[in-house]
Amino acid sequence: MASLSTTSLSFKAPSTRISQVLRKGSSFQSVAFGRFASSTSKTSLRLQISCAAKAETVQKVSDIVKEQLALTADTPLTAESKFTALGADSLDTVEIVMALEEKFNISVEESDAQNITTIQEAADLIEDLVQKKPAA
Amino acid sequence: MQRSLSMGLTSLLPLKLPSRMETHLWYIRPDEVKCASLLKHYSQLLSPTEKDRVLQMRGDELKKNALLARTLVRTTIARYQTNSEVDPRSLMFKKNKYGKPEVDWQNYNNCNNPPLHFNISHTDSLIACGVTVHVPVGIDVENKERKIKHDVLAFAERFYSADEVKFLSTILDPEVQRKEFIKLWTLKEAYVKALGKGFSAAPFNTFTIQSKVGTEGCYNLCKTSEMTISSLEKTEKCYEEWRFALLELADSHYGAICTEDDQAGGGGPMRVIIRKTIPFVEDELISESKLL
Repeated sequence: MASLSTTSLSFKAPSTRISQVLRKGSSFQSVAFGRFASSTSKTSLRLQISCAAKAETVQKVSDIVKEQLALTADTPLTAESKFTALGADSLDTVEIVMALEEKFNISVEESDAQNITTIQEAADLIEDLVQKKPAA
Repeated sequence: MQRSLSMGLTSLLPLKLPSRMETHLWYIRPDEVKCASLLKHYSQLLSPTEKDRVLQMRGDELKKNALLARTLVRTTIARYQTNSEVDPRSLMFKKNKYGKPEVDWQNYNNCNNPPLHFNISHTDSLIACGVTVHVPVGIDVENKERKIKHDVLAFAERFYSADEVKFLSTILDPEVQRKEFIKLWTLKEAYVKALGKGFSAAPFNTFTIQSKVGTEGCYNLCKTSEMTISSLEKTEKCYEEWRFALLELADSHYGAICTEDDQAGGGGPMRVIIRKTIPFVEDELISESKLL
């Protein structure tokens, strides 16, 4: 069951969690990414790390989404791609969330699971949850 | 078999509103609609916003299905004429405060606007629209053969209620188990959509839908209350005011319907009238609704 804005799942209850994540921006652990070694100032290095982490997460999310929705290689996909525009229905969305939980070893609350509508939102939520996990 | 458009398009068959006890279910099969000029005709029914949304879908097939979904909604509602003919193009829609789509009758001066409720659901091979009067309706359709990528029980444990997990775990044949999982999914979705308050209002693990013992095709909604008083016993309350029907559509899909029972209908099982349609081309009354 695919959905349009008029169908099933798109009655988004306000998701304070996701909007909080988006509003406060991203905070990152200061882990060194070898390929981003830079001689620039600490601030811009951190900015670089933050963008890299996002891109990597976005890529992983995209891969999972492509697999779940059985998208062809030439389907245009961006971080802003809405799951519904890619043909996902609510069952797909839930399966995507489960796959993300397994991949990133996180636990997503059900209300958040149903409110993820784009790849970027999923990546943001993952970043938020991973960051909140107790240090290994 | 495509009827040639050179024969001319038929007009929409006008219909009486469903009675209080009835749900009308209309469905369309995208693979039966191939004619480009017919699709063009359909696209002329849509509002500019709807057209934009159709265009946002990635890929031709998704675009076509999005177009057919809006066409189905508009033409279906337009059939239920009360005093004057309703042009499907002129219908307006709004959303309730939780985002559930509704008809916005404000542009009609007609005082007898039908208290019509609708809900739509689609898969890539079937799009359905349910219509009721006076009471909200939720529908969900799913391809019977849909494969679940995760282990069914793991999925159920994550999202369904404890009783539903128990029920599913008693099924030994994995294929039967998968089918029961999907049937439950459609029933649960239909309920949440009928409720119309978004998913946070009714997380899947807070309610159980189960067959009514001794009946065919009748289901009960039971909610597990999180509130405990003194003991760890969970209180379960069964809600008579929500009615369910589970059907097989076109031999390929499960369709679940949930409506609110406002008691004015006098109780009794839901009556479902199913029609297959290619708007402006043909409508077919499906005389046997296979209740599951």
